[in-house]
Amino acid sequence: MRDLSLSTAIKLSLFAIVAASISVFAPAYALQQVAIAIAYAIAILGLNLLMGYAGQICLAQGTLFGVGAYVTAILNATYGVSPLATLPVAAAVSAAVGLLIGLPALRLQGLQLAIVTFGIAAAFPQLLLKLGSLTGGVSGLPVDAPETPGFMTDVPELWLYLIALACAGIGALLVSRVLFGDAGRALRAQRDNPQIAQALGVNLTRTRLWAFATSSALAGLGGGVFAIVSGFISPESFLAILSINIVIGSIVGGVTSMAGAFVGGLFMVFVPSWASDINLSLGNLIYGLALILIMMVARNGITGFIEKWISMIFRRAAG
Amino acid sequence: MSLFFQLVTSGLATGAIYAALALALVLIFRATNVVNFGQGEMATFSAYCTWQLMQWGVPLWLAVLASLVGAFAIGIVTFRLIIRPMMDAPVEATVVITLGILVLFQAACMWIWGAEQLSFPSLFPGGGFGIGEVRVLASAVGTLAILLAIALAMGFIFRFTKLGLSMRAAAFDRTRSVLVGVDVERMLMLGWGFASVIGALAAILIAPRLFLSPTMMTPILFYALAAATLGGWDSPLGAIVGGLAVGVTESLGASYLPFVGADMRIAVPIALTLIILLVKPVGLFGSYKVTKL
Amino acid sequence: MTLLDIRDLSVFYGKTQALFDCSFSVGEGEFVALLGSNGAGKTTLLRAVSGLLPFKGSVFYAGKALDKISAQTRLALGVAHIPQGRGTFTEFTVEENLSLGATIVASRSQVREDKERWYETFPRLRERRNQLAGNLSGGEQQMLAVARALMSRPKLLMCDEPSLGLAPSITQEILAIFKSLNKENGMTLLVVEQNVDITLQYADRAFVIEAGQIVASGTASDLIGNEDIKKSYLGVAG
Ligand SMILES: Nc1ncnc2c1ncn2[C@@H]1O[C@H](COP(=O)(O)OP(=O)(O)OP(=O)(O)O)[C@@H](O)[C@H]1O
Ligand SMILES: [Mg+2]
Repeated sequence: MRDLSLSTAIKLSLFAIVAASISVFAPAYALQQVAIAIAYAIAILGLNLLMGYAGQICLAQGTLFGVGAYVTAILNATYGVSPLATLPVAAAVSAAVGLLIGLPALRLQGLQLAIVTFGIAAAFPQLLLKLGSLTGGVSGLPVDAPETPGFMTDVPELWLYLIALACAGIGALLVSRVLFGDAGRALRAQRDNPQIAQALGVNLTRTRLWAFATSSALAGLGGGVFAIVSGFISPESFLAILSINIVIGSIVGGVTSMAGAFVGGLFMVFVPSWASDINLSLGNLIYGLALILIMMVARNGITGFIEKWISMIFRRAAG
Repeated sequence: MSLFFQLVTSGLATGAIYAALALALVLIFRATNVVNFGQGEMATFSAYCTWQLMQWGVPLWLAVLASLVGAFAIGIVTFRLIIRPMMDAPVEATVVITLGILVLFQAACMWIWGAEQLSFPSLFPGGGFGIGEVRVLASAVGTLAILLAIALAMGFIFRFTKLGLSMRAAAFDRTRSVLVGVDVERMLMLGWGFASVIGALAAILIAPRLFLSPTMMTPILFYALAAATLGGWDSPLGAIVGGLAVGVTESLGASYLPFVGADMRIAVPIALTLIILLVKPVGLFGSYKVTKL
Repeated sequence: MTLLDIRDLSVFYGKTQALFDCSFSVGEGEFVALLGSNGAGKTTLLRAVSGLLPFKGSVFYAGKALDKISAQTRLALGVAHIPQGRGTFTEFTVEENLSLGATIVASRSQVREDKERWYETFPRLRERRNQLAGNLSGGEQQMLAVARALMSRPKLLMCDEPSLGLAPSITQEILAIFKSLNKENGMTLLVVEQNVDITLQYADRAFVIEAGQIVASGTASDLIGNEDIKKSYLGVAG
């Protein structure tokens, strides 16, 4: 137990150092990119709960992310609510939508859920267009920049970055409360063996719905942050491929790792953009190849791969 | 009433394309237990190859034939390089790998041919004929005829040839097949090859209507997934029936259900999939072996 | 002449070792039984010989080292393996099962001829030729498994626990068929069994395997009266 908290402490301080050095050294534009990566990471944190612990593949996380983004944008653009105040609402609405998807999903497993949610992801942009009077249709909706505190007005991007980071912190806290509490034990038990879990008195229905709601709330929160950081959203940003990319980010980072969520978010934003720096039209091709190669070399994601190497090196050093 | 028959006819023609892609998915699932989310994009790539050959002056039918041969090779190479090393990976990993195939082929099309929509010639003459008040397009008849031909050819191969028997055996149980001397790996490879050819045909058939673009098949893939789920993931016959059923319901739903309409027609297969999964998860023709899809 | 020669055979499942330096040989035209209790390593040994598992040590078949030869080629050389639990293709018809048994046979007339021949031997299979194998009784499935293996015209037929789940009389029937294949066709047999007394009535020689090692061997008539071996290795109450 002491080992665990020690390594958590090490990880946290490492994380803090990385986060701080990004804020100091990264140029403004990159800061905004990192903030977007963090928005995705928040959604991935949720998806990890679902995939890594509840064993369910959801290909509609991008849709729930989009729901959150649109709640923020609509509340802000149409009703003039201040952007930051919309975030809890975004999370709550997404959680509710997630529950709606989650109810039938209680009886679906693995690939079945993947197929249904893939359909939902494919339908979402159409729905946004159909509800044009609410969503602004193809032309999308603008989102106000949150008021930047006086001493930071030179670099509003830094403020956006800090907001994203704070939301990610809240998300991580939420996930760790779920994981290390009773719900987490129940989740792991039901993933490893539903029958035994049931026999042990785990309420499967409640646990799975709980996982879905939490995961969706995080997607909504991430989406809200995305809308604020981007300053503008349209259906283009929430095509089916977004959900696919979020799953990819999640797996690439490692489904059972919180740090992995951030690796995954960064992967989603930066690998395609680096790849297109190498060659503009080749960008996605390199992204796809990188993805497949990573999966073949490191099935447990990048984080799992690194952890394996570190523990191997430690073992060598020890004996 | 004639509207109804009109909608059914056009639904059947679209359904034939869903059926073809679903058939490809089912072939691969039976053989390797993988749901290939990249099937549509692999097919799009082949349709682009046809287009390219025609740009170079190759006549349509020859271009199609050559692309189908190419599609066969693409299926085999994808299996050897990407799927075979991952065959005993957990299901999340195989889902991501096939999503990777989707991204890869979409990107390849984008890189080589760009993102703009290209017009693609139909394999069939324009126009059509009337039966009573119902107008039947030649392309609809042609598409259905091709589906029928695929179905008969597959049925023949699987029922009556040694190759088909070996392929079915390899899909049924790998160890037992090895013991009777079936070259299991070769059979799985061929399965991927055939599936890729059938998928490519689907893309070539639908390209004239949707225009050729790198993302052309992404929504079609969902219709095919719905069709395979409806029919049962281990049943080729189910894939065909499921595809036609999805096509017809979609066409009827888009016209008769005002809240669905033409722009939300994708809601129809979503609802169908959900219903079948909740009511009869193995699908109409599936066996209970695959409840845990 | 030795047909199958196994020397210092070791097999691992990941890090756990299931066979430890087993050595024995089977002469051409012999009927040999491999006896051992549950978990002794009998199935593992057959799987190594037929090519389903990699092994350390050496296995020679008709003078050829098998380690680098694929399962398919081993079958073509004449090594057939009827797995434990019969390994029938339950969702295929009886006829299709026989056709699958002849996967490596190129000549269609040979396939037709052999089917005819084994339908003669197993008339029950002929009656059910168009039924799914999964709907046959246990005994019929075992006969199908034997007939299917014979379709490849093996020289060495290895069968893993034919008696599993069958009534003694049916076990006898199957062992009698093995015996006649052995006597009349000169086929070499290696039969894995736990059912010691019945098996030793038919086999020429037997090896006893325990915890992954060959612990005893002898002619059937020697072993049949040897209560010590039966008691200590085969779990037969004295
Ligand atoms: N796939 C496997 N993975 C790991 N260990 C295995 C595997 N198969 C068998 N073993 C182990 O190897 C040993 C030998 O098993 P094997 O199946 O060869 O025994 P057997 O003599 O055929 O037993 P039985 O009479 O019950 O069929 C056992 O300890 C078993 O637990
Ligand atoms: Mg055994």
